[in-house]
Amino acid sequence: MAKTDRDTSKGKPRPIVRLGIFLISHSFFFSVVFSTAGVLALLLLPVLAKNTYISENSLMPGSVAPMLSDQEVAEGNRLIEDLNALKSKPLGSGIGSQRLVAQYMSNLGAEVSFHKFHRQPSQFHPLHFFSSPDSRRIEQNISCALHGVNTIGIIRAPRGDGKEAIVLVTPFNSVKVNKNEALSLGIAYSVFSLLTGVPWLAKDVIWLVADSQFGEYAAVAAWLRDYHTPVFSGVGTLDAEMCPEINNLRGMEENLFTERMTFDGFKRAGTMAAALVIKVGDRTQQYEDSLSIYAEASNGQMPNLDLINTVNYLAVHRQGLRVKVEKLWSLLNMRWLKTLGEMFELLGHYARNINPQLKFGIPAAEYIEGSATLASSLYYQALGIPTGPHGAFRDYQVDAITVEILPKVFTLGNKVRQNDFLLRSGRLIEGVVQSVNNLLEKFHQSFFLYLLTSPSKFVSVGVYMIAFALLVAPLPMVAASLYVNASNSDESMNSEKSSPSATAVDSASSPTTTDAAPLVTLSESTPLLTAADSGSLATVADSASLATAADSSRFATTADCITLSSWKWLYAAKKSFIVYLWGSVVSLLPYFICQIPSCTPTTSFIIWVLLSILGLVVMYGILASPFSDANDSKSQKEWAILKSVTLSAAFIGLCLMSIINFATAEIGGLLMVPMCLMAHPLKLDVKTRSLRTISRAVCNLVLGFIGFPPVTFIVLKGAFEGFSSINVGDFWSWVESLWAWNSATYLYIGVVHLPCWVLCIHILFHHC
Amino acid sequence: MLVKMCNLFNAAVVVAAFLLMGPITFGKCVAFGSPSSSSETTMHTNNWAVLVCTSRFWFNYRHMANTLSLYRTVKRLGIPDERIILMLADDMACNARNKYPAQVFNNENHRLNLYGDNVEVDYRGYEVTVENFLRVLTGRHETAVPRSKRLLSDEGSHILLYMTGHGGDEFLKFQDSEELQSHDLADAVKQMKEKHRFKELLIMVDTCQAATLFSQLQSPGVLAIGSSMKGENSYSHHLDSDVGVSVVDRFTFYTLAFFERLNMYDNASLSSLFNSYHPSLLMSTAYYRTDLYQRHLEEVPVTNFFGSVMETIHTDSAYKALSRKSFSRAEIKTSFDKTVNGDERRILADSDGQDLLSDLKKEDQQGAFKHLWKTFNDEVGKIEDVDSFVQYGLLVMLPLLLLPTWLSW
Repeated sequence: MAKTDRDTSKGKPRPIVRLGIFLISHSFFFSVVFSTAGVLALLLLPVLAKNTYISENSLMPGSVAPMLSDQEVAEGNRLIEDLNALKSKPLGSGIGSQRLVAQYMSNLGAEVSFHKFHRQPSQFHPLHFFSSPDSRRIEQNISCALHGVNTIGIIRAPRGDGKEAIVLVTPFNSVKVNKNEALSLGIAYSVFSLLTGVPWLAKDVIWLVADSQFGEYAAVAAWLRDYHTPVFSGVGTLDAEMCPEINNLRGMEENLFTERMTFDGFKRAGTMAAALVIKVGDRTQQYEDSLSIYAEASNGQMPNLDLINTVNYLAVHRQGLRVKVEKLWSLLNMRWLKTLGEMFELLGHYARNINPQLKFGIPAAEYIEGSATLASSLYYQALGIPTGPHGAFRDYQVDAITVEILPKVFTLGNKVRQNDFLLRSGRLIEGVVQSVNNLLEKFHQSFFLYLLTSPSKFVSVGVYMIAFALLVAPLPMVAASLYVNASNSDESMNSEKSSPSATAVDSASSPTTTDAAPLVTLSESTPLLTAADSGSLATVADSASLATAADSSRFATTADCITLSSWKWLYAAKKSFIVYLWGSVVSLLPYFICQIPSCTPTTSFIIWVLLSILGLVVMYGILASPFSDANDSKSQKEWAILKSVTLSAAFIGLCLMSIINFATAEIGGLLMVPMCLMAHPLKLDVKTRSLRTISRAVCNLVLGFIGFPPVTFIVLKGAFEGFSSINVGDFWSWVESLWAWNSATYLYIGVVHLPCWVLCIHILFHHC
Repeated sequence: MLVKMCNLFNAAVVVAAFLLMGPITFGKCVAFGSPSSSSETTMHTNNWAVLVCTSRFWFNYRHMANTLSLYRTVKRLGIPDERIILMLADDMACNARNKYPAQVFNNENHRLNLYGDNVEVDYRGYEVTVENFLRVLTGRHETAVPRSKRLLSDEGSHILLYMTGHGGDEFLKFQDSEELQSHDLADAVKQMKEKHRFKELLIMVDTCQAATLFSQLQSPGVLAIGSSMKGENSYSHHLDSDVGVSVVDRFTFYTLAFFERLNMYDNASLSSLFNSYHPSLLMSTAYYRTDLYQRHLEEVPVTNFFGSVMETIHTDSAYKALSRKSFSRAEIKTSFDKTVNGDERRILADSDGQDLLSDLKKEDQQGAFKHLWKTFNDEVGKIEDVDSFVQYGLLVMLPLLLLPTWLSW
């Protein structure tokens, strides 16, 4: 009777449950298949990349014939010459060049204002990690002498509603006038002078000449911060109150011009539709003018793909410029990548033979280029550091990119070449401004989550997520299977000890489960419930007219099992919790190490490592030791439970990180997943002494070595740049740059990767 | 004696006139007698045009240019402004992005400013909604809506309904927020038919997959033409690189090219218009739905829809106009049971009135003749004393006799 009850209630589990059971019971096979497929899918991404297309109808790039003519270019040239002339004058060129630019702007009829900002020391503030830039206004120790002045010119759209604006940014070091920066100012100025006269502007145009003496990013970020935090306390700004002597300084050099200039008040236009940072590159190109696009902002955020598409379309199809995005050059010469590309090409060839409709496969050369670009795209997104001043805009949800225009080699005297260069670059900028001007809404049509494999090819989130999902899928599977096996073996061990009749009862009372191997019993009931289930089994057996004596004895033995098997994971969880806690302490340590004066990166790094080890030992001693002995003696499979907890934690960490910064999670997954999956106590492996176990032990050692974050960094750096200039301190500087830019990758390394590595090492050297 | 002669002459003329008109009148009477639908029987009285641009935003400049071009064309061919309902988002001319403020062009040569003076937009901006569109067609307005915003058509109206915008399979998008489905359109047309709001209706649609919008139509007297078949796009004709947008759609461009050659007196038929669309030029296949339309397209001049018929109703005296339809119907009833001689004048008037084939001039002439004849008859009828009339007549004859003798002398 009870048997039939059980059959009807549990008759056939739902398909998804059965699928789960199937996957977990064959977890070894599937974990190998899935992680290989994950790596393969990542390698396939360049092949699966789609061509970009302009998704927003209203952009209409290139629909207007460019109006920029030689006249505007001549004006731009005039500014360049004046700036270069200023360079030769030794005195007062600092404020002089800014006044010159301002003079030029106001001559065009634009509204001109200056924006003074102070250098903000890059410091690690653990409490302000994810906070918005506004709240970082902790300006206790600004040195008033160190300040930069941005020059801002605004053209009001003659018939626009003044609610939106387009921003052009030209970084410009006012202290040391650079020829290339002067050129970029010339380009921007010629476009600006055209835009003052056109009737079609619907958005205001802001030209920001960012004072880059403290870095381009800092100047732009400071201006954006003040732009978005209006001060309503009268004319004087916060800065002016703090540093009154600057005002006097400013007052001293007053003349007719500065009086006319509007120093008071911060000039604003509407919300920013898009921003374009214009630079002229140092690296001159051999054959033709070209264009580099930088798009990565902080934490792997990207501007809308439509903006890149627009620039790319106009540059390629209208101005005949060659467009490039960053790629990892060292990847281009890799042998294995080349063979892989040829393999994919061959596969594509066969696929086309079978069905001509299949558009699979690209030429090997294109594949190599694509994967080099993809790798760099992944790397810069994973780093979480903006690749240029455009990153500051992304913090305010403004789509922005940096275009670096690289001129063909030309001698200084070649006026014709320079005019042509100015004309083409100016027309490109004009076209982009015109397109953005046509926009009716914020950029929203195209993708925000993508990886570029070339300027005109991209992999969208829907495709690249598959690789990551496949990669991390084995983690929960193996974790579940490990836990189930461990608790099962314990249970069977215990029940063998107690009485053979109990197992007989067990098998008799549940005929549905006996034929399907022990795995099914385990997976049918969730691990936590195994004990309760066994308890209920006993009661079921009780009612099933079997020997009550055997039952009672069994009940007694299982009572002991319940405590052991159901709470075993708690100990492992506590252990890993301690390690994770330690991880977060380790990531806070640099804040204190920074306070130590006069420290080289290497010594800082060593201090950090020593403190970390000390912390680990102390925490382990205080929190973890009392129970460890008691449990270890009882459980042979303690390491398996610990591994299962490690895997689950790694899985959760990776999935959380993939939401914050996908690229970090992807790269982290590539490093962590094999390490976690392979982890196995060396002692057991060595004891067995078969070829399989020995090779596993070696693999584990290698993976464990590589998995240590500083080693990973050094190995990767060495692989791409050569081992000649490697220094241990480099890792410290790298980490320093990460926290200076508030990169979530830093948190990932400290809070997810490092604890996971420690746990894996712990499993490797487990004393079982 | 003379009077009798006059009467005799009078009768002879009337009989002759009747003999001439007889067959036509008789034919008409048969037509009236048969229980066919009223659209065949009522005559074409007036022309209306409903021109709708269903999209807004700067990059849809061409749709507004399409509509304004057609507006200009039908106005040129004679439909007055008060019979054109123009629905337009109207955000192009004064758009900040427009390089030519307050001007709209449909060609890159910029020869013709469509947004010149006298553009009467009846529904503009956010008033162009599916609801308002259906209200206009079915005439179910709120009481406060002025007459100028209503489609006051009648049983004898020919209506041109032109729509352009972005469409899809069996729908037409209204300003990116609503859509009109083919069922809605068919339902509205059916309501119009039942309310006797049109005699013939030409629906012209320039959108992608325009043909699908007609699939649910079932009311007789409807002729539909769309720019593209199902699964096809409707393309713009050319881009004005000065303004920076496409300025006209292909289908509308070639429609306009056809009409530019015509003036309001031309007799080009609808079939010649339909044959002027070449798929290679349109880059899509124009689609006509003619199964609901009775007349042969070869016999229907385009001006029946794109031009205007202004009916001149003769009234006996100023400000005493009778409703034409009741007038003629009353006569039809009497015309059968009265003798030819007894009611010749009325039949004459009736036949005159019902003659669909007669053009305006002829109608005018006959009207004048009728008028003279009627006054003469009336005058004659007023005379009661025949003897004194004869005597007076003889007396009047005396000077008339003297005149020729004096002349011959």
